[in-house]
Amino acid sequence: MSHIAVAVQGTAAAPAGPSVVSLSGITKSFGPTLANAGIDLSVRAGEVIGLVGGNGAGKSTLMRILCGAMWPTLGAISFASEEVPFAAYDTGEAQRRGIRMVHQELSLCANLSVAENFFLETPGDSASRPGWRALYRTRARAALDAVFPGNGIDADAEVGHLTIAERQMVEIARAAATPGVKLIVLDEPTSSLDLDRSKQLRAFIRGRAKAGLAFIFISHKLQEIIDIATEVVVLRNGRMAWQGHASDASIGKLVQLMGGDADPIHQHSVAAASSQDVLVRLSGALTAELGRDVDIVRGEIVGLAGLEGSGQKELLHAIFKPDRKQQATVARHADAGFIAGDRQKEGVFPLWSVLGNISIGALARRSALGVVSEHANSDTAKGAASKLRLDDKRFPSNITELSGGNQQKALVARALVADTPIILLDDPTRGVDIATKQDFYRLCNEIARGGRALIWHTTEDAELLACDRVLVFSGGHIVNELAGGAITEQAIVGASFAQPAVSQSNADSERTAMAGLGRKLVNAAPFIGLAAVLAIMIAINPAVASTFGLDLLLMPALSLVLVTAAQMFIVGGSEIDLGVGAFAGLVSVISATLLYDQPWLGALALVAALAAYAGLGGVIQARKIPAIVVTLGASFIWVGIGYALQPTPGGASPDWLTTLFGWSIGFMPTSIIMIAAVALIVLVIDRLPLGVVLRGFGNNPAAMIRSGWSPTRYALVRYLIAGLFAGAAGLSLTAINTASDINSGNSFTLLSVAAVVMGGCSLLGGIISPVGAVAGAVTLSLIGALLGTLSVSSDYNAATQGLILIALLTLRSLTADRRSES
Amino acid sequence: MNAFASFGLWAQRNRWIWAAIGVLILWLILSVVTNRFSLSSLSGVILSASFLTVVGIGQMFVVTTGRGNIDLSVASVITLSAFVALLTIKGQDANLAIGIFAAVLLGLAVGALNSLLVVGLGIPAIIATLATGYVLATATLLSNKAIPGFAVSPALKELATGRISGVPIMAAIAILGVAATSFVLRYTVFGQLLSAVGQNRAAARLAGIRNGPVVASAFIISSVLASLDGLLLGAYIGGAFLEMGQPYLLQSIAAVVLGGTLIFGGSATALGTLFASILLILIVTTMQIIGLPPGAQDIVQGIVVIFVLALAGRQAMARRTSADLADGDKDSEATTKVPAATVQPR
Repeated sequence: MSHIAVAVQGTAAAPAGPSVVSLSGITKSFGPTLANAGIDLSVRAGEVIGLVGGNGAGKSTLMRILCGAMWPTLGAISFASEEVPFAAYDTGEAQRRGIRMVHQELSLCANLSVAENFFLETPGDSASRPGWRALYRTRARAALDAVFPGNGIDADAEVGHLTIAERQMVEIARAAATPGVKLIVLDEPTSSLDLDRSKQLRAFIRGRAKAGLAFIFISHKLQEIIDIATEVVVLRNGRMAWQGHASDASIGKLVQLMGGDADPIHQHSVAAASSQDVLVRLSGALTAELGRDVDIVRGEIVGLAGLEGSGQKELLHAIFKPDRKQQATVARHADAGFIAGDRQKEGVFPLWSVLGNISIGALARRSALGVVSEHANSDTAKGAASKLRLDDKRFPSNITELSGGNQQKALVARALVADTPIILLDDPTRGVDIATKQDFYRLCNEIARGGRALIWHTTEDAELLACDRVLVFSGGHIVNELAGGAITEQAIVGASFAQPAVSQSNADSERTAMAGLGRKLVNAAPFIGLAAVLAIMIAINPAVASTFGLDLLLMPALSLVLVTAAQMFIVGGSEIDLGVGAFAGLVSVISATLLYDQPWLGALALVAALAAYAGLGGVIQARKIPAIVVTLGASFIWVGIGYALQPTPGGASPDWLTTLFGWSIGFMPTSIIMIAAVALIVLVIDRLPLGVVLRGFGNNPAAMIRSGWSPTRYALVRYLIAGLFAGAAGLSLTAINTASDINSGNSFTLLSVAAVVMGGCSLLGGIISPVGAVAGAVTLSLIGALLGTLSVSSDYNAATQGLILIALLTLRSLTADRRSES
Repeated sequence: MNAFASFGLWAQRNRWIWAAIGVLILWLILSVVTNRFSLSSLSGVILSASFLTVVGIGQMFVVTTGRGNIDLSVASVITLSAFVALLTIKGQDANLAIGIFAAVLLGLAVGALNSLLVVGLGIPAIIATLATGYVLATATLLSNKAIPGFAVSPALKELATGRISGVPIMAAIAILGVAATSFVLRYTVFGQLLSAVGQNRAAARLAGIRNGPVVASAFIISSVLASLDGLLLGAYIGGAFLEMGQPYLLQSIAAVVLGGTLIFGGSATALGTLFASILLILIVTTMQIIGLPPGAQDIVQGIVVIFVLALAGRQAMARRTSADLADGDKDSEATTKVPAATVQPR
C-alpha cells in the first residue's frame, strides 16, 4: 500500500517551489560534544522533508536551531536567500517568518478550552469585542475539520479533559491554521494517533504541500516517512548520513543508514552468573510479551532499549523505589544506587563542592545522628575518584565549575561510595564528550566485573553495545531480549522500530474519570456547605430568612468576598498574597481619613497605594523571589502606613461611599445583589481575552512565553486587578463600619485563601472559579454567626475555619492525582 | 585590592559576616550619636534578640528544606505556649518540670501535625502552617479564659531575665543553641541531608535520601523551639497576652533571610541568624530612640525584608545560571537563550 502512495506523491511533488528557509553548515557543540556537525538543510515550498535518525542523532537540536530556540555554534540561516544573523533570530522571529513547530511535549494550556488555545497562538484580531470566543471557536472547528475530518472534538472542551491523541490533533490543527505559516515542523506527530488519524494527517499534508506549504516530518515510523515525504534526510551522530528522494528510500535502507558499523565499545564477556546472585527479577505484565521472567544477576550490564518514553525510565525508577502496585512485577533483592543523566535536575547539589557531592552517597545510608568527618569523607572519595581518573585536587571546587563529563564522574563516584550491589544508570553520558564516554564504558565494565549489576538506560543506541544484555521496550513492556553477539546497533534499531507502538491503555482514562468524580464532589463542597449553614440558621431562627435578616447576615461577608476575588487572581497565577487583607485595611484607613478630609489627596494616596501593590507583582516576577515572603513583608508596610495615618481606630466614611454601599431596592437584600455583582465582574474579566491569558500563565508559563506573551507585563496586570478588588474591599469596610481600623482586614488574608481553595481553585494556579469561591467566602464568614446561633463560643471561630481549610485541602489532595512525592 | 577580593570570596562562604558588620556599624553609630550607648546596653539588646534567635533558628531549619517552605504557625505556637506555661506551672517552681514537658509536648504535637499536612498530604507548607495557626488561635483563646493568674515561676523568671556577671542567662542559652545548631548543620549527617534535600529534592531522593523524615524533622524542630521560646518569653514579660507571638512571624523570617540563609533552601547559617536577630532588634531600638512612630517601625521592617530578598533573589539566580552554563546537557533548556528576554511581548 505504501508503494502506491509513493507513486502518487512522486507525481505531486514534481514542481519544486521557491526556497523557504535554508540552513548551512550548522554545527552545535555542547562542550566537547558535537550534537550537530556541518549540516546543510534547505526547505522549498511544497516540500515534505522526512527527518529520521536514531536516538541522540541530533534531530531535536537541529529543529531547535531552525525554530530559533537555540543558537548554533557555527552556521548560517537564510530565508529566500536573505541571510539572517542568528543574533537577531529567536522564536518570535521564526514565528514571524512563518515557521511553526508542533512539539513532542505538548505546549497547550491544559486549563483552557480548545478555542482559547487557538486564541493564544494568534491573538491578533480578537480585540476585546464581545463574541471573540465565537470567532476562535469557528476557527478552531474549521482548522480541526480541515486536518482531521470527523474528529468530534468540542472547541469549548477544556484541553486537560482531552485524550493525548486529541490534544495532539489540536496542536497540529493550531499550527496548520496559523495565518502566514510557510513551514510546519511536526515532531513525532503520529506517536499518539491511530492509523485513521495518521492517514488523515498525511492526506492533509499532501494537500497543503500542493498548495505550497512546506513540512518537516519527524517520525520513528519509517513507513509513514516513505509514504509522505518527498525528500528524506537521515541524521546519524549529528551528521547528515543521507539525503535523497523518498522514492530511493526503503525501510531496510533507512534502518541501515541510521544504525551502523560495530563500535569498539563492544566488550562482552560471559557473566559468571548463578541463580543465587539474582539481584532484580522482572515479571508479570512487564514481561508478558517476552513470555518469561527476566533475572538480573551480579556482574552483568543490562541495557534498556527502545524508542524514548517506552517505559525504560519507569523501570529504572520502579527498581530504585518499588511501588506497592508494581511489587508484583519488579522485585529487588539488594540496595540500589542511581546515576542520573539529567545532572541539573536530578544529579548535582549546586551549592556543594565536588567532595560534598560525592560523599552524600555514603552519608545517605548512615544514621542521621552520625557525625561527619571531612577527612574520612575525603579518604573514601579518593578511592572512588582514582578509579574514575577524577583528580582529587578538584575536590574543594564547586561542582558547577566542572565540565559535564567530570560532573558525571562525580556522580558515579557518589554511587561507588554508596557501595550498592545494583547501580541504575539513567542516560548517564548525556552531554559528555566522546573520550570521557570511552572512559566511562571501560569503567562500567570494571564495576560490573567487580560483582555489581548495572542497569543502563540510554538514549544513544550505540551505547547499548557496551551491554551484556539488552531489553527492548515498547509501549511500557519488554518485548524483546538481545544477548551477547546478537546485540548490534542494527538489531536494536530494528527491534525498536519493528514493534507497533501500543496506544495508551484505557485504564488511564478510567482512573482520571474516577478522580474527576471525586473532584466534582469536592468542588460542590462550598455550595453544600453554604446551603447547610443557611438551613441550620433558618431552622433555629426563621427571622434569618427575611430580606432584612439576610442583609444583616450577609453584608459583612461582602468585604471578604471582595478580598477573595483579589486573592483568586493571585492564586490563579500560582502565588499567594499574605498581605491582601492588610492592604484592604490600609485602603479602609485612607478612605476614612485622607479621603474624608481632603478628597483629592485621598484619591491620590489610593492611586499610589494601588500602583505600589501592582509594582510588587512586577518585582516578584522580575526577580523570581517567593511571593509569600514578599507579600508578608509588604503586609507590614501596609499596616505600618495605616498606623502612621491613624494610630487608633476612628475616622469617618465619606457620604458618597456610605451611599454606594447603603442603597436598597426593597425586595432583594442589597448584600446579595452586591455579592452576585462581584462574582459577575470576576466572571466577565475571566471570560475576556485578558482573563484567558492570565489563566494561561497560571497553568503553563513556558508555553505562554513560547507563544510570545510577556510574563512581567501580565504579572503587573494580575496584581493590579487583585489590588482593585482588595481596594474595593477596603472601601466596603469603611462604608459598612462607618469608620476604619487598620487591623480590620487582617483576618481576611487566611480566610480568602481558604475561600479560594474551597471554591475549587488549585494552589498550583490556572483556575478561576468565581461562583465557588464566593460561596466559600460567604460560608466562611457565616461560621461566626452559625456558632452564635448554636450558642458555641466565638472562640471556636478560628479553629472551625482552620479545620475546614485543612479538611478541604486533605480531601483535595486525596482526590487529585498524587504528584511524585518530594 | 587583593585582600579585598579574598575577603569577598571568604564572605561568600560565610554570609553571616554581613549581618555582623551591620550590627557593628549600627552600634557604633548609636554609641557616637547618643553618647550613652554602651556595651551593657548592647547586652540588653542581645537579651531581647535572644528570644528572636531561638524562634529564628527553628524557622531556619524549615526554610532550609527548600521549595519556599516557611513555618507560619510559629507565632501562634509562641503565644499558646506562654499560656500553657501559665496553666501548668501556676507560678510554682515545683511545677517547672511539668511546664517544660508540656511545652515540648505542644511543640512536638504541632510539628507532627504540620509534618503530616506538608509531607504526608503534600499541602503547601504556608497554607498548612497558616491553617494550623488558626486552630492554635482558638486553643489560645480558650487557655486565656482558663489561666489562674499571671504568676511566673521565680526560677523561670530568673532564667529569662537574670544575669550572671552581667551576661544575660537567656543570651547565653541562645548562643549555646546557635553553637549547637552550627555543629548539627556542619558536622552531622542530618545537617548534610537537610542541605541536600533543600538544594535538590530529586537529586536527594535518587542519592538514596528519604526526604520525608528530613523535612518532617525540620518542622518539628521549628515548633519545639517556638514552644520553648514562648515559655521563656512569657516569663520574660511576666505573663502572656493574645497576639504576643505575632511580631515574631515576620521577624523570624527576616532574621533567617537577613542572616544569609538562602530563601530557596539548601544552605543555612545559625550564626547569621543570631547576628541578624541582634541587627533587627537594634533597628527597632534605633527607631525608638529616634522617636519614630510604631507604624514606621513596621514599614522599615517590611522594606528591609523585601529589599534583602530582592538582592538575594538575584544572587541565587546568578548562581543558578552559572550552574547551567557549566554543563552542556543536550536536552536542557539552560543552554538555549532565555525566551522571556528575546520574544517580543504582545
